[in-house]
Amino acid sequence: MEFVSPEGLRLDGRRPMEMRQIRAEIGAVAKADGSAVFEMGNTKVIAAVYGPREVQNRTQQINDQALVRCEYSMANFSTGDRMRKPKGDRRSTEISLVIRQTMEACILTHLMPRSQIDIFVQVLQADGGTRSACINAATLALADAGIPMRDLVTSCSSGYLNSTPLLDLNYVEDSAGGPDVTVGFLPKVDKVTLLQMDSKLPIDIFENVMQLAIEGCKAIANYIREIMLENTKQLEYRRGI
Amino acid sequence: MGLPDAPGDLSSEVDVDAFRHLFPLRFYERHLTESIRPDGRPLGRARDTTIALGAVTSAEGSALAKIGSTTMLAAIKMEVMTPSMDSPDEGCIAIDFHMPPICSPIVRPGRPAEIAPVVSKQLSDTISSSGMINLKELSLVSGKAAWMAYLDIYCLDADGALFDAALLSAVAAFSHLQIPAVSLNDDGKIVVVSEENGGKLEKDAVNKERMKLTLKSIPFSLTCVLHKNYILADPTAEEESIMETVVTVVLDSSSQLVSLYKPGGPVLAYTSAIQDCVALTRQRMKDLQKILDEANSGMEVD
Repeated sequence: MEFVSPEGLRLDGRRPMEMRQIRAEIGAVAKADGSAVFEMGNTKVIAAVYGPREVQNRTQQINDQALVRCEYSMANFSTGDRMRKPKGDRRSTEISLVIRQTMEACILTHLMPRSQIDIFVQVLQADGGTRSACINAATLALADAGIPMRDLVTSCSSGYLNSTPLLDLNYVEDSAGGPDVTVGFLPKVDKVTLLQMDSKLPIDIFENVMQLAIEGCKAIANYIREIMLENTKQLEYRRGI
Repeated sequence: MGLPDAPGDLSSEVDVDAFRHLFPLRFYERHLTESIRPDGRPLGRARDTTIALGAVTSAEGSALAKIGSTTMLAAIKMEVMTPSMDSPDEGCIAIDFHMPPICSPIVRPGRPAEIAPVVSKQLSDTISSSGMINLKELSLVSGKAAWMAYLDIYCLDADGALFDAALLSAVAAFSHLQIPAVSLNDDGKIVVVSEENGGKLEKDAVNKERMKLTLKSIPFSLTCVLHKNYILADPTAEEESIMETVVTVVLDSSSQLVSLYKPGGPVLAYTSAIQDCVALTRQRMKDLQKILDEANSGMEVD
Protein backbone atom coordinates (compact mmCIF):
# COMPACT_ATOMS: atom_id res chain seq x y z
CA MET A 1 0.00 0.00 0.00
CA GLU A 2 1.19 3.47 -0.73
CA PHE A 3 1.71 5.67 2.25
CA VAL A 4 3.54 8.46 0.50
CA SER A 5 2.25 9.46 -2.92
CA PRO A 6 4.68 10.26 -5.73
CA GLU A 7 3.93 13.96 -5.17
CA GLY A 8 5.12 13.53 -1.61
CA LEU A 9 1.77 13.63 0.23
CA ARG A 10 0.74 11.23 2.96
CA LEU A 11 -2.68 9.62 3.39
CA ASP A 12 -4.03 12.57 5.33
CA GLY A 13 -2.50 15.17 3.05
CA ARG A 14 0.53 16.02 5.15
CA ARG A 15 4.10 16.29 3.97
CA PRO A 16 6.53 13.70 5.40
CA MET A 17 8.10 16.13 7.85
CA GLU A 18 4.85 17.75 8.89
CA MET A 19 3.35 17.14 12.30
CA ARG A 20 -0.38 16.98 12.99
CA GLN A 21 -2.15 19.95 14.45
CA ILE A 22 -1.51 20.20 18.19
CA ARG A 23 -3.74 21.85 20.76
CA ALA A 24 -3.32 21.97 24.50
CA GLU A 25 -5.39 23.30 27.38
CA ILE A 26 -4.34 23.63 31.01
CA GLY A 27 -6.63 23.22 33.99
CA ALA A 28 -9.35 21.03 32.50
CA VAL A 29 -10.10 19.12 35.72
CA ALA A 30 -11.01 21.49 38.53
CA LYS A 31 -10.60 18.91 41.28
CA ALA A 32 -7.06 17.94 40.35
CA ASP A 33 -3.93 19.73 41.55
CA GLY A 34 -2.84 20.01 37.94
CA SER A 35 -4.46 18.89 34.72
CA ALA A 36 -4.19 19.30 30.97
CA VAL A 37 -5.78 18.17 27.74
CA PHE A 38 -3.44 17.49 24.81
CA GLU A 39 -4.53 16.85 21.24
CA MET A 40 -2.30 15.70 18.38
CA GLY A 41 -4.53 15.51 15.30
CA ASN A 42 -7.36 13.16 16.27
CA THR A 43 -5.58 11.75 19.30
CA LYS A 44 -6.94 13.38 22.43
CA VAL A 45 -5.78 12.65 25.97
CA ILE A 46 -6.48 14.19 29.35
CA ALA A 47 -3.94 14.07 32.19
CA ALA A 48 -4.48 14.85 35.86
CA VAL A 49 -1.86 15.15 38.57
CA TYR A 50 -2.59 14.74 42.27
CA GLY A 51 0.23 15.58 44.60
CA PRO A 52 2.44 15.91 46.37
CA ARG A 53 0.23 14.25 48.93
CA GLU A 54 0.51 11.68 51.68
CA VAL A 55 1.62 8.22 50.59
CA GLN A 56 -1.41 5.95 50.64
CA ASN A 57 0.45 2.71 51.14
CA ARG A 58 2.88 3.23 54.01
CA THR A 59 5.05 0.30 53.01
CA GLN A 60 5.90 2.00 49.73
CA GLN A 61 6.96 5.27 51.28
CA ILE A 62 10.48 6.40 50.39
CA ASN A 63 12.24 8.44 53.04
CA ASP A 64 14.39 10.67 50.89
CA GLN A 65 12.28 11.20 47.81
CA ALA A 66 8.76 11.35 46.44
CA LEU A 67 6.99 8.26 45.09
CA VAL A 68 5.71 8.75 41.55
CA ARG A 69 2.80 6.63 40.31
CA CYS A 70 1.23 6.64 36.91
CA GLU A 71 -1.82 4.99 35.39
CA TYR A 72 -2.63 4.96 31.69
CA SER A 73 -6.09 3.93 30.58
CA MET A 74 -8.08 4.19 27.39
CA ALA A 75 -11.77 4.99 27.21
CA ASN A 76 -13.93 2.21 25.80
CA PHE A 77 -14.94 4.40 22.88
CA SER A 78 -11.47 5.73 22.08
CA THR A 79 -10.63 3.27 19.34
CA GLY A 80 -12.46 2.30 16.16
CA ASP A 81 -13.98 -0.86 17.64
CA ARG A 82 -15.14 -0.70 21.22
CA MET A 83 -12.47 -1.93 23.62
CA ARG A 84 -13.33 -4.63 26.09
CA LYS A 85 -10.49 -4.18 28.56
CA PRO A 86 -9.35 -0.60 28.81
CA LYS A 87 -6.83 -1.08 31.60
CA GLY A 88 -4.92 -3.89 33.18
CA ASP A 89 -3.99 -5.35 29.83
CA ARG A 90 -0.34 -5.67 28.93
CA ARG A 91 -0.14 -2.68 26.65
CA SER A 92 -1.64 -0.29 29.20
CA THR A 93 0.62 -1.61 31.94
CA GLU A 94 3.68 -1.16 29.75
CA ILE A 95 2.76 2.38 28.77
CA SER A 96 2.03 3.27 32.41
CA LEU A 97 5.51 2.10 33.32
CA VAL A 98 7.12 4.02 30.46
CA ILE A 99 5.37 7.26 31.34
CA ARG A 100 6.20 6.88 35.01
CA GLN A 101 9.88 6.30 34.40
CA THR A 102 10.07 9.16 31.90
CA MET A 103 8.45 11.66 34.25
CA GLU A 104 10.27 10.37 37.30
CA ALA A 105 13.62 11.14 35.70
CA CYS A 106 12.52 14.72 35.33
CA ILE A 107 10.75 15.52 38.59
CA LEU A 108 13.00 16.77 41.41
CA THR A 109 11.78 14.04 43.72
CA HIS A 110 14.34 14.71 46.43
CA LEU A 111 12.54 17.95 47.24
CA MET A 112 9.42 16.12 48.38
CA PRO A 113 10.43 13.16 50.55
CA ARG A 114 7.83 10.80 52.00
CA SER A 115 5.14 12.02 49.65
CA GLN A 116 3.39 10.70 46.57
CA ILE A 117 2.74 12.21 43.17
CA ASP A 118 0.02 10.54 41.09
CA ILE A 119 -0.17 11.05 37.35
CA PHE A 120 -3.33 9.72 35.69
CA VAL A 121 -3.74 9.76 31.94
CA GLN A 122 -6.95 8.93 30.13
CA VAL A 123 -7.10 8.53 26.37
CA LEU A 124 -10.37 9.88 25.00
CA GLN A 125 -9.65 9.41 21.29
CA ALA A 126 -6.85 7.25 19.91
CA ASP A 127 -5.41 7.83 16.44
CA GLY A 128 -1.76 6.88 16.82
CA GLY A 129 0.86 8.53 19.00
CA THR A 130 -1.07 8.08 22.25
CA ARG A 131 2.13 7.48 24.18
CA SER A 132 3.59 10.79 23.03
CA ALA A 133 0.40 12.73 23.62
CA CYS A 134 0.24 11.29 27.15
CA ILE A 135 3.77 12.38 27.98
CA ASN A 136 3.13 15.87 26.65
CA ALA A 137 -0.12 16.12 28.59
CA ALA A 138 1.59 14.85 31.75
CA THR A 139 4.30 17.52 31.42
CA LEU A 140 1.70 20.26 31.21
CA ALA A 141 -0.29 18.82 34.10
CA LEU A 142 2.81 18.61 36.30
CA ALA A 143 3.63 22.21 35.45
CA ASP A 144 0.05 23.23 36.28
CA ALA A 145 0.38 21.47 39.64
CA GLY A 146 3.53 23.41 40.39
CA ILE A 147 5.69 20.33 40.83
CA PRO A 148 9.39 21.18 40.44
CA MET A 149 10.98 19.61 37.37
CA ARG A 150 14.40 19.64 35.77
CA ASP A 151 13.00 20.46 32.36
CA LEU A 152 9.93 19.90 30.21
CA VAL A 153 9.59 16.46 28.68
CA THR A 154 8.18 16.41 25.20
CA SER A 155 7.59 13.40 23.04
CA CYS A 156 6.97 12.68 19.40
CA SER A 157 6.96 9.63 17.16
CA SER A 158 8.37 9.03 13.73
CA GLY A 159 8.53 6.16 11.25
CA TYR A 160 9.89 5.03 7.91
CA LEU A 161 7.54 3.95 5.12
CA ASN A 162 8.00 3.87 1.35
CA SER A 163 11.66 4.79 1.92
CA THR A 164 10.69 8.12 3.50
CA PRO A 165 11.11 9.17 7.13
CA LEU A 166 7.69 10.32 8.37
CA LEU A 167 6.99 12.49 11.40
CA ASP A 168 4.10 11.93 13.83
CA LEU A 169 2.43 8.75 12.63
CA ASN A 170 -1.31 8.34 12.80
CA TYR A 171 -3.03 5.01 13.44
CA VAL A 172 -3.09 3.84 9.83
CA GLU A 173 0.60 4.58 9.31
CA ASP A 174 1.48 3.04 12.67
CA SER A 175 -0.27 -0.24 11.88
CA ALA A 176 1.38 -0.47 8.47
CA GLY A 177 4.08 -2.70 9.95
CA GLY A 178 6.97 -0.32 9.44
CA PRO A 179 9.27 0.91 12.22
CA ASP A 180 7.84 3.21 14.85
CA VAL A 181 10.29 5.30 16.87
CA THR A 182 9.07 7.19 19.95
CA VAL A 183 11.39 9.74 21.51
CA GLY A 184 11.08 11.57 24.83
CA PHE A 185 13.24 14.66 24.88
CA LEU A 186 14.35 17.32 27.37
CA PRO A 187 14.67 20.47 25.24
CA LYS A 188 16.69 22.76 27.53
CA VAL A 189 19.40 20.27 28.42
CA ASP A 190 19.17 18.71 24.95
CA LYS A 191 19.00 15.13 26.15
CA VAL A 192 16.95 12.10 25.20
CA THR A 193 15.16 10.41 28.09
CA LEU A 194 12.92 7.92 26.30
CA LEU A 195 13.68 6.00 23.14
CA GLN A 196 11.59 3.11 21.89
CA MET A 197 11.59 1.44 18.52
CA ASP A 198 10.03 -1.64 17.05
CA SER A 199 10.46 -3.43 13.73
CA LYS A 200 13.76 -3.35 11.83
CA LEU A 201 15.77 -0.43 10.56
CA PRO A 202 19.36 -0.01 9.28
CA ILE A 203 21.47 2.08 11.66
CA ASP A 204 22.12 5.06 9.38
CA ILE A 205 18.45 5.40 8.50
CA PHE A 206 17.60 5.03 12.18
CA GLU A 207 19.72 8.06 13.01
CA ASN A 208 17.77 10.16 10.50
CA VAL A 209 14.43 8.96 11.80
CA MET A 210 15.43 9.61 15.40
CA GLN A 211 16.69 13.08 14.52
CA LEU A 212 13.35 13.81 12.85
CA ALA A 213 11.49 12.80 16.00
CA ILE A 214 13.78 15.05 18.06
CA GLU A 215 12.95 17.98 15.80
CA GLY A 216 9.27 17.20 16.37
CA CYS A 217 9.89 17.22 20.12
CA LYS A 218 11.55 20.64 19.91
CA ALA A 219 8.58 22.04 18.01
CA ILE A 220 6.20 20.67 20.62
CA ALA A 221 8.38 22.15 23.38
CA ASN A 222 8.02 25.62 21.82
CA TYR A 223 4.27 25.22 21.70
CA ILE A 224 4.11 24.00 25.29
CA ARG A 225 6.15 26.99 26.44
CA GLU A 226 3.74 29.36 24.70
CA ILE A 227 0.77 27.68 26.33
CA MET A 228 2.36 27.91 29.77
CA LEU A 229 3.27 31.55 29.27
CA GLU A 230 -0.29 32.34 28.20
CA ASN A 231 -1.61 30.49 31.24
CA THR A 232 0.66 32.45 33.58
CA LYS A 233 -0.46 35.72 32.03
CA GLN A 234 -4.08 34.73 32.66
CA LEU A 235 -3.27 33.94 36.29
CA GLU A 236 -1.53 37.29 36.72
CA TYR A 237 -4.45 39.07 35.12
CA ARG A 238 -6.94 37.38 37.41
CA ARG A 239 -4.91 38.33 40.44
CA GLY A 240 -4.81 41.89 39.28
CA ILE A 241 -1.08 42.12 38.82
CA MET B 1 -17.35 39.79 62.39
CA GLY B 2 -17.10 37.73 65.55
CA LEU B 3 -17.08 33.97 65.51
CA PRO B 4 -19.87 31.89 67.03
CA ASP B 5 -19.09 30.76 70.56
CA ALA B 6 -16.34 28.27 70.15
CA PRO B 7 -15.00 26.64 73.32
CA GLY B 8 -12.80 29.66 73.93
CA ASP B 9 -9.69 28.29 72.30
CA LEU B 10 -9.80 30.29 69.08
CA SER B 11 -8.46 33.74 68.59
CA SER B 12 -11.09 36.10 67.31
CA GLU B 13 -9.54 36.22 63.86
CA VAL B 14 -9.32 32.94 62.04
CA ASP B 15 -8.62 32.76 58.35
CA VAL B 16 -11.80 32.06 56.34
CA ASP B 17 -10.25 29.06 54.61
CA ALA B 18 -9.08 27.59 57.89
CA PHE B 19 -12.55 28.03 59.38
CA ARG B 20 -14.06 26.38 56.31
CA HIS B 21 -11.87 23.32 56.77
CA LEU B 22 -12.00 23.09 60.56
CA PHE B 23 -15.70 23.74 61.13
CA PRO B 24 -17.38 23.02 57.81
CA LEU B 25 -20.89 22.62 59.14
CA ARG B 26 -20.79 25.89 61.07
CA PHE B 27 -19.34 27.63 58.03
CA TYR B 28 -22.28 26.47 55.92
CA GLU B 29 -24.90 27.20 58.53
CA ARG B 30 -23.78 30.79 58.75
CA HIS B 31 -24.45 31.06 55.05
CA LEU B 32 -27.73 29.16 55.12
CA THR B 33 -29.26 31.52 57.69
CA GLU B 34 -28.79 34.26 55.08
CA SER B 35 -30.32 31.95 52.41
CA ILE B 36 -27.18 31.83 50.37
CA ARG B 37 -24.32 29.41 49.75
CA PRO B 38 -20.55 30.02 49.74
CA ASP B 39 -20.42 30.13 45.95
CA GLY B 40 -23.06 32.84 45.93
CA ARG B 41 -26.01 30.76 44.75
CA PRO B 42 -29.45 30.99 46.36
CA LEU B 43 -30.54 27.68 47.89
CA GLY B 44 -32.77 26.56 45.04
CA ARG B 45 -30.53 27.38 42.12
CA ALA B 46 -28.48 24.86 40.18
CA ARG B 47 -25.03 25.61 38.75
CA ASP B 48 -24.41 26.67 35.16
CA THR B 49 -25.06 23.75 32.86
CA THR B 50 -23.71 23.25 29.35
CA ILE B 51 -24.00 20.45 26.81
CA ALA B 52 -21.70 19.94 23.83
CA LEU B 53 -22.80 17.30 21.31
CA GLY B 54 -20.42 15.27 19.17
CA ALA B 55 -17.45 15.50 21.51
CA VAL B 56 -16.05 12.12 20.44
CA THR B 57 -15.76 11.88 16.67
CA SER B 58 -15.10 8.13 16.56
CA ALA B 59 -18.40 7.28 18.29
CA GLU B 60 -21.83 7.17 16.67
CA GLY B 61 -23.29 9.47 19.30
CA SER B 62 -21.58 11.45 22.03
CA ALA B 63 -22.03 14.37 24.39
CA LEU B 64 -20.06 16.29 27.01
CA ALA B 65 -22.19 17.64 29.86
CA LYS B 66 -20.97 20.03 32.54
CA ILE B 67 -22.89 21.07 35.63
CA GLY B 68 -20.62 23.60 37.35
CA SER B 69 -17.29 21.75 37.48
CA THR B 70 -18.76 18.26 37.28
CA THR B 71 -17.94 16.98 33.80
CA MET B 72 -19.28 13.84 32.14
CA LEU B 73 -18.35 12.50 28.72
CA ALA B 74 -20.84 10.01 27.23
CA ALA B 75 -20.31 8.11 24.00
CA ILE B 76 -22.35 5.45 22.23
CA LYS B 77 -20.86 2.76 20.02
CA MET B 78 -23.12 0.46 18.03
CA GLU B 79 -22.54 -3.19 17.25
CA VAL B 80 -24.70 -5.76 15.52
CA MET B 81 -25.76 -8.78 17.55
CA THR B 82 -28.35 -11.56 17.40
CA PRO B 83 -31.39 -10.72 19.50
CA SER B 84 -32.52 -13.08 22.27
CA MET B 85 -35.25 -15.65 21.74
CA ASP B 86 -37.84 -14.01 23.93
CA SER B 87 -37.58 -10.61 22.24
CA PRO B 88 -36.59 -11.27 18.65
CA ASP B 89 -37.44 -7.83 17.36
CA GLU B 90 -35.83 -5.74 20.02
CA GLY B 91 -32.30 -4.39 20.31
CA CYS B 92 -30.38 -3.85 23.49
CA ILE B 93 -28.68 -1.05 25.42
CA ALA B 94 -25.75 -1.56 27.80
CA ILE B 95 -24.92 1.36 30.10
CA ASP B 96 -21.61 1.62 31.93
CA PHE B 97 -20.47 4.42 34.21
CA HIS B 98 -16.76 4.87 34.93
CA MET B 99 -14.95 7.07 37.39
CA PRO B 100 -11.30 7.09 36.33
CA PRO B 101 -8.76 8.31 38.87
CA ILE B 102 -8.44 11.68 37.16
CA CYS B 103 -11.85 12.79 38.33
CA SER B 104 -11.28 13.07 42.04
CA PRO B 105 -8.54 12.86 44.67
CA ILE B 106 -10.37 10.07 46.50
CA VAL B 107 -10.36 7.63 43.59
CA ARG B 108 -7.17 5.68 43.21
CA PRO B 109 -6.09 2.79 41.00
CA GLY B 110 -7.04 -0.47 42.65
CA ARG B 111 -9.56 1.25 44.89
CA PRO B 112 -12.46 2.33 42.63
CA ALA B 113 -15.03 4.83 43.91
CA GLU B 114 -17.88 3.21 45.84
CA ILE B 115 -20.41 5.42 44.20
CA ALA B 116 -19.57 4.38 40.63
CA PRO B 117 -21.54 1.12 40.48
CA VAL B 118 -24.41 2.79 42.35
CA VAL B 119 -24.72 5.56 39.77
CA SER B 120 -24.31 2.98 37.01
CA LYS B 121 -27.27 0.96 38.27
CA GLN B 122 -29.37 4.07 38.88
CA LEU B 123 -28.75 5.17 35.31
CA SER B 124 -29.70 1.81 33.79
CA ASP B 125 -32.87 1.64 35.84
CA THR B 126 -33.89 5.21 35.13
CA ILE B 127 -33.34 5.00 31.39
CA SER B 128 -35.18 1.71 31.02
CA SER B 129 -38.08 2.64 33.27
CA SER B 130 -38.58 6.05 31.68
CA GLY B 131 -39.38 4.42 28.37
CA MET B 132 -37.25 6.97 26.55
CA ILE B 133 -35.94 4.46 24.04
CA ASN B 134 -38.13 2.12 22.08
CA LEU B 135 -36.01 -1.01 21.73
CA LYS B 136 -37.94 -2.05 18.64
CA GLU B 137 -36.30 0.84 16.79
CA LEU B 138 -32.99 -0.92 17.29
CA SER B 139 -34.07 -4.03 15.45
CA LEU B 140 -32.66 -4.80 12.00
CA VAL B 141 -33.89 -8.19 10.84
CA SER B 142 -36.40 -9.80 13.16
CA GLY B 143 -34.89 -12.77 14.96
CA LYS B 144 -31.55 -12.49 13.19
CA ALA B 145 -29.91 -9.13 13.73
CA ALA B 146 -30.38 -6.16 16.01
CA TRP B 147 -28.33 -3.25 17.29
CA MET B 148 -26.52 -3.36 20.59
CA ALA B 149 -25.83 0.17 21.80
CA TYR B 150 -22.95 0.45 24.28
CA LEU B 151 -23.21 3.68 26.23
CA ASP B 152 -20.06 4.50 28.19
CA ILE B 153 -20.04 7.49 30.49
CA TYR B 154 -16.74 8.74 31.88
CA CYS B 155 -16.62 11.18 34.76
CA LEU B 156 -13.79 13.60 34.02
CA ASP B 157 -14.31 15.81 37.07
CA ALA B 158 -16.37 14.85 40.12
CA ASP B 159 -17.76 17.87 41.94
CA GLY B 160 -21.13 16.70 43.25
CA ALA B 161 -24.45 15.84 41.54
CA LEU B 162 -22.83 13.02 39.58
CA PHE B 163 -26.11 11.31 38.73
CA ASP B 164 -27.64 14.50 37.30
CA ALA B 165 -24.69 15.17 35.04
CA ALA B 166 -24.45 11.53 33.98
CA LEU B 167 -28.14 11.32 33.10
CA LEU B 168 -27.95 14.58 31.17
CA SER B 169 -24.94 13.41 29.17
CA ALA B 170 -26.62 10.05 28.45
CA VAL B 171 -29.79 11.73 27.21
CA ALA B 172 -27.80 14.19 25.10
CA ALA B 173 -25.71 11.37 23.59
CA PHE B 174 -28.87 9.48 22.62
CA SER B 175 -30.34 12.57 21.03
CA HIS B 176 -27.12 13.00 19.03
CA LEU B 177 -26.93 9.32 18.05
CA GLN B 178 -27.01 8.57 14.33
CA ILE B 179 -27.40 4.90 13.56
CA PRO B 180 -25.25 4.01 10.55
CA ALA B 181 -26.94 2.77 7.39
CA VAL B 182 -26.50 -0.94 6.89
CA SER B 183 -27.56 -3.53 4.37
CA LEU B 184 -27.68 -7.28 4.20
CA ASN B 185 -25.03 -8.69 1.91
CA ASP B 186 -25.19 -11.98 0.04
CA ASP B 187 -23.77 -14.07 2.87
CA GLY B 188 -26.61 -12.97 5.08
CA LYS B 189 -24.32 -10.69 7.06
CA ILE B 190 -24.98 -7.11 7.94
CA VAL B 191 -22.48 -4.67 6.46
CA VAL B 192 -22.16 -0.97 6.88
CA VAL B 193 -23.12 0.91 3.74
CA SER B 194 -20.39 3.21 2.53
CA GLU B 195 -21.24 6.31 0.56
CA GLU B 196 -20.05 4.85 -2.76
CA ASN B 197 -22.37 1.90 -3.27
CA GLY B 198 -25.46 3.68 -2.05
CA GLY B 199 -27.54 2.26 -4.88
CA LYS B 200 -27.49 -1.40 -4.00
CA LEU B 201 -29.87 -1.64 -1.08
CA GLU B 202 -32.37 -4.10 -2.45
CA LYS B 203 -33.15 -6.80 -0.01
CA ASP B 204 -33.17 -5.10 3.32
CA ALA B 205 -35.84 -4.13 5.69
CA VAL B 206 -32.93 -2.38 7.21
CA ASN B 207 -32.42 1.37 7.59
CA LYS B 208 -31.42 2.88 4.32
CA GLU B 209 -30.01 6.11 5.55
CA ARG B 210 -28.57 7.23 8.86
CA MET B 211 -31.33 7.20 11.35
CA LYS B 212 -31.97 8.98 14.62
CA LEU B 213 -33.88 7.44 17.49
CA THR B 214 -37.21 8.95 18.48
CA LEU B 215 -36.96 9.84 22.14
CA LYS B 216 -40.24 10.17 23.94
CA SER B 217 -40.56 11.14 27.60
CA ILE B 218 -36.98 12.22 28.24
CA PRO B 219 -36.02 11.97 31.94
CA PHE B 220 -34.42 14.90 33.75
CA SER B 221 -33.19 14.83 37.30
CA LEU B 222 -32.21 17.07 40.18
CA THR B 223 -30.27 16.08 43.28
CA CYS B 224 -30.83 18.02 46.50
CA VAL B 225 -29.26 17.79 49.93
CA LEU B 226 -31.37 18.21 53.05
CA HIS B 227 -30.04 19.81 56.17
CA LYS B 228 -32.36 20.60 59.09
CA ASN B 229 -35.14 22.34 57.21
CA TYR B 230 -33.03 23.70 54.37
CA ILE B 231 -33.09 22.19 50.90
CA LEU B 232 -30.02 22.88 48.76
CA ALA B 233 -30.39 22.11 45.06
CA ASP B 234 -27.48 20.76 43.00
CA PRO B 235 -24.83 20.27 45.69
CA THR B 236 -21.09 20.48 45.15
CA ALA B 237 -18.87 17.65 46.39
CA GLU B 238 -18.08 19.64 49.53
CA GLU B 239 -21.78 20.14 50.31
CA GLU B 240 -22.54 16.46 49.68
CA SER B 241 -19.81 15.34 52.07
CA ILE B 242 -20.83 17.67 54.89
CA MET B 243 -24.60 17.36 54.68
CA GLU B 244 -25.05 13.72 53.95
CA THR B 245 -28.75 13.41 53.20
CA VAL B 246 -29.23 13.31 49.45
CA VAL B 247 -32.52 13.12 47.55
CA THR B 248 -32.66 12.59 43.78
CA VAL B 249 -35.90 13.16 41.88
CA VAL B 250 -36.30 12.20 38.22
CA LEU B 251 -39.17 13.61 36.17
CA ASP B 252 -39.92 13.09 32.51
CA SER B 253 -40.89 15.76 30.03
CA SER B 254 -44.61 15.37 30.82
CA SER B 255 -43.86 16.05 34.51
CA GLN B 256 -44.50 12.48 35.55
CA LEU B 257 -42.39 11.09 38.37
CA VAL B 258 -39.99 8.49 37.00
CA SER B 259 -37.91 7.81 40.08
CA LEU B 260 -37.31 9.01 43.60
CA TYR B 261 -34.15 8.07 45.44
CA LYS B 262 -33.35 8.87 49.07
CA PRO B 263 -30.71 6.45 50.36
CA GLY B 264 -30.98 6.99 54.11
CA GLY B 265 -29.14 9.89 55.71
CA PRO B 266 -29.42 11.61 59.08
CA VAL B 267 -32.29 13.91 58.03
CA LEU B 268 -35.74 12.30 57.97
CA ALA B 269 -37.76 14.03 55.30
CA TYR B 270 -41.34 15.02 55.81
CA THR B 271 -43.69 14.85 52.83
CA SER B 272 -43.46 18.62 52.47
CA ALA B 273 -39.71 18.41 51.94
CA ILE B 274 -40.14 15.80 49.23
CA GLN B 275 -42.80 17.92 47.56
CA ASP B 276 -40.45 20.90 47.61
CA CYS B 277 -37.77 18.77 45.97
CA VAL B 278 -40.22 17.72 43.27
CA ALA B 279 -41.17 21.34 42.66
CA LEU B 280 -37.50 22.32 42.33
CA THR B 281 -37.00 19.45 39.91
CA ARG B 282 -39.93 20.58 37.80
CA GLN B 283 -38.37 24.02 37.45
CA ARG B 284 -34.99 22.52 36.66
CA MET B 285 -36.52 20.24 34.07
CA LYS B 286 -37.75 23.22 32.07
CA ASP B 287 -34.25 24.74 32.09
CA LEU B 288 -32.60 21.48 31.08
CA GLN B 289 -35.14 20.92 28.31
CA LYS B 290 -34.27 24.32 26.90
CA ILE B 291 -30.53 23.67 27.08
CA LEU B 292 -30.92 20.30 25.36
CA ASP B 293 -33.10 21.75 22.61
CA GLU B 294 -30.60 24.51 21.97
CA ALA B 295 -27.76 22.00 21.73
CA ASN B 296 -29.75 19.86 19.30
CA SER B 297 -30.77 22.75 17.08
CA GLY B 298 -27.17 23.94 17.11
CA MET B 299 -26.13 20.61 15.60
CA GLU B 300 -28.82 20.68 12.94
CA VAL B 301 -27.63 23.91 11.46
CA ASP B 302 -24.48 22.24 10.09
